[in-house]
Amino acid sequence: MRRVPLYAALLAYVVFLAFPLLWLLSTALKTPQEMALTSPTWIPREPTPANFTDAFGEQDLVGAALRSLVVALASSLLTVVISLPAAYSMARYRSLVNRIAIGWVLVSQVFPFILIIIPLFLIMRDLELVNTLPGLVAVHVTFTLPFALWMLQGYVRAVPRELEEAASVDGASRLRAIASVVAPLLAPGVVATLLFAFISSWNEFMFALVFLQDPDVMTLPLTLVRFTGPEGVARLGPLAAASLMATIPSLIFFAIIQRRLKSGLMAGAVKG
Amino acid sequence: MRIKSALAAAAIVTLAAACGGGGGGEPAAPGEPVKLDFLSLAWQKESVAANKELVNEWNKAHPDIQVTYVQGSWDNVNDQLVTQFAGGTAPDVIHNDSPALAGFASDGYLLDLSAKLPAELKSDIPQSAWDTVTFTGGEGEQGVYGVPFLQESQVIIANKKLLDESGVRVPTPEEPWTWDEFSEAAKKMTKDGQYGVAWAMKSPVNKTLNLALNFGGTFFQTTDGNTTVKVGPEEREVLQRIHDQLYKDKSADPAALGQGTADPLPAFFQGKFAMLPTGVYLRQQVVEQAPDDFEWVTLPAPKGTSAQQGAVSQTLSIAQESEHPDEAMQFISFFLNAANQAKLAKGDWLLPASQKAAADPAMTTQENGWDVATASAKNLVVAPFLKVNGYDEWRSKVATPVLQEYFADKITLDEVAKRLVEEGNQVLERYHR
Amino acid sequence: MTATATRPAPPRAPRSKRRGASRQKREMWLLMLPAMVPVLLFSVGPLLYGIGLAFTDARNTRVHETSFVGLENFTRMLSDEQFWASFQIGAIWSVSVTVLQFLAALGLALLLNMNLRFRSVARVLAVVPWAMPPVVIGLMWKLVYHPDAGILNGLLGTDVNWLADFSLALPAIIVVGVWTGMPQTTVVLLAGLQNVPKELYEAGEVDGAGRWRRFWNITLPQLRPVIVAITSLDFVWNFNQFGLVYVLTQGGPGGRTRLPMLFAYEEAFRYRAAGYASMLGLAMAIVVLAVLGLYLWRQMREAK
Repeated sequence: MRRVPLYAALLAYVVFLAFPLLWLLSTALKTPQEMALTSPTWIPREPTPANFTDAFGEQDLVGAALRSLVVALASSLLTVVISLPAAYSMARYRSLVNRIAIGWVLVSQVFPFILIIIPLFLIMRDLELVNTLPGLVAVHVTFTLPFALWMLQGYVRAVPRELEEAASVDGASRLRAIASVVAPLLAPGVVATLLFAFISSWNEFMFALVFLQDPDVMTLPLTLVRFTGPEGVARLGPLAAASLMATIPSLIFFAIIQRRLKSGLMAGAVKG
Repeated sequence: MRIKSALAAAAIVTLAAACGGGGGGEPAAPGEPVKLDFLSLAWQKESVAANKELVNEWNKAHPDIQVTYVQGSWDNVNDQLVTQFAGGTAPDVIHNDSPALAGFASDGYLLDLSAKLPAELKSDIPQSAWDTVTFTGGEGEQGVYGVPFLQESQVIIANKKLLDESGVRVPTPEEPWTWDEFSEAAKKMTKDGQYGVAWAMKSPVNKTLNLALNFGGTFFQTTDGNTTVKVGPEEREVLQRIHDQLYKDKSADPAALGQGTADPLPAFFQGKFAMLPTGVYLRQQVVEQAPDDFEWVTLPAPKGTSAQQGAVSQTLSIAQESEHPDEAMQFISFFLNAANQAKLAKGDWLLPASQKAAADPAMTTQENGWDVATASAKNLVVAPFLKVNGYDEWRSKVATPVLQEYFADKITLDEVAKRLVEEGNQVLERYHR
Repeated sequence: MTATATRPAPPRAPRSKRRGASRQKREMWLLMLPAMVPVLLFSVGPLLYGIGLAFTDARNTRVHETSFVGLENFTRMLSDEQFWASFQIGAIWSVSVTVLQFLAALGLALLLNMNLRFRSVARVLAVVPWAMPPVVIGLMWKLVYHPDAGILNGLLGTDVNWLADFSLALPAIIVVGVWTGMPQTTVVLLAGLQNVPKELYEAGEVDGAGRWRRFWNITLPQLRPVIVAITSLDFVWNFNQFGLVYVLTQGGPGGRTRLPMLFAYEEAFRYRAAGYASMLGLAMAIVVLAVLGLYLWRQMREAK
């Protein structure tokens, strides 16, 4: 009974954050007439699959989703693989390079992409990376790296150094000490970073818009805006249907990966 | 850790290696078909279908010139093109509208088509439409920077039941309402909880400026090659009249003020207001979304001293850096022949620029107000602001906030005039240097 | 967090000190290298180029010869009242979104970290705003705020024109900003909470500390590096955000929601003034960095 307020608070949060999912679902099943009612309905009166058939019939949503999946998986894995060692170094060693690196991480986030995008485009063009998916992966990795570094070095710092040292003193090599003690403790942080990189790549629009030109390399976010017209007029039905399909994979990915967040808790009990 | 970083380094190398190739735009080898990219902004179901069909038809008939249909979106096309133009990788054939064209033309990114236009296409499209795509190019020369094919005009979409109940005279293209009659009609249709009219004014500037031509309001004047803003009695007419509907007659729904073009529709269907002044293309949304028992009509826009409206066209252009401009022009003249323009206009619920296409039965039927819409094309003249260097900046920095404040009744018309002129001229001055 | 984390490497036996130092340096370079390659190529390069542009009259056009103009853009910026007006709006926006986002996310992360039922489901549902494609987010909130057909007026029984009201438009988009950014912050804080060694709480319970005391004396200090990291990043992201505003209000009504980044974006992409836009970007970056520097420095001092 003491927990009732807690559940109420949790429910309020979930309603506030997740109601759009219901809205997407309901909109995707509505007829255009029902969408234009002044008193919106949550449950469609005459559910119709027309929006789905329109959306999937007009656009290569499945192909675009597959390409997005490849790009998002590649970027997120690459981001973590690259940033983990660097983050460890940033957190554990004090040197000029690391201090510059930390400063850089912030600076790179502070500068708005609108100032970077044209010079970046020129570089990509000269490397013949424009209009290719690996090119997009490279850009996504570059721009999620700072966040990954910043967060991961925060998590590394939060792992008490004594644990690592204790393991080393026990006779294990440093590498093994890191692998057996630090790595499990970092698991939740790694998972959070992976998730972040995956979703930001999956949803990323601006770079994809300017870098990809051929229909056979288009990613999902580019395909979604095809349902919008000038001045914010949109074909809400097909857009909602397509967006539902774009939202679900991220949620599934999160559902799978969030178990790892929990296992981090168990790892926390491991004593040096 | 070393192993990991070695792996990461290897991954980068593989990635870089995998990235080789790709890129496009190499000149076609002899015997290979010429490849053209066509960036289209069509977004409505029928118009996307019409576009795809026409491209397929072309590709079948022309194995040596293959067109790739690339879809873009209105909201982002500007960002996309600015970047791709800067990188020299923009599509060959580009769909856009005349206000955006002015900028890209003076940037030097678009090809002057005047020498390339086939006679048939040129004569089929009236001079008033060509005027909307004639700009000063990057080198200071006058040129034609696109082929106009769809035009938007303003009409009034009205709730037929409320219109009939009010007993006002129903205007026709031959005899439209005057603004006085329009305001009178709006008042008659206003009763408790119901307004006569709704002005969706989220982006108030283009709409107001196009209507201002009714009273000869041009907002800009050019003397000795120097363009300045002017807000005289002609310019004030439409502003004052809309403001009166909102605050004096109280015949306009204040809730619509912050809304975009299509946002007032739910309230319109519900009968919260009787008339919606808007672009002709909104008829498509009305047909699609109106409840089955909802009856509506298309009325011509009111007239002042004239019925003139500023025209905005949708256009096809060729990139300056396209490697196959002649092939691109061939494609455009096929794509925009009279029969095809009629198809495209129908798909987008806009007016065809082609005179032959405008005579197509599909464009003159009474159904869904096509007759009224098509008739309004004769009132279209090129909007003066289209030719003003710096108009875009004036609009978003000065005019948009000022008009929003005016329509929200926060400032007087005199203040509007003062700010539009003073702050506006400061902006324009930068473009004269 | 304990002081150890910010202390230099632990002292070693003097004999091996030099060898250790050089080995450490080699190790560090090896660890950093993979991250440095893409950053130098795709981020530092373009950025230096962008900063350089700030001192030129560069335009995003084909027909313009760019020349060096020194501080001309800077002096123009100083007298650009509209920019400073939008800068003020940007400051209100980014501070309030960051603070509200952090408080809301911390509450949610604590709840999700408790042993409540359905928490796995709740965790997944809590990331919905993040998983939703940005293009629909704007459209959806527009419908929420719709004066006639909107959910919000329906719910509150009010008749408010949220996005067109001169005093309510900014708060209305702040809510959207908080909503959009909450999942990231929550996930990061949750991961941080999971990292707090359990023994500390066990020790706390032995001491008889109540829930509030445990939160204040154990959780918060342990979470500190993560909190500092995420709030700094949130602040920066929020300051740089303009996509939402672009869809919802386009800076209106009367410029009340014109965020500075929207302003700079229009300079660069609408009016093609790449040089001036770069100067605006540079100036904003310097101000934001100064604010962050102050914040980080204070946090660091308190941590010690």
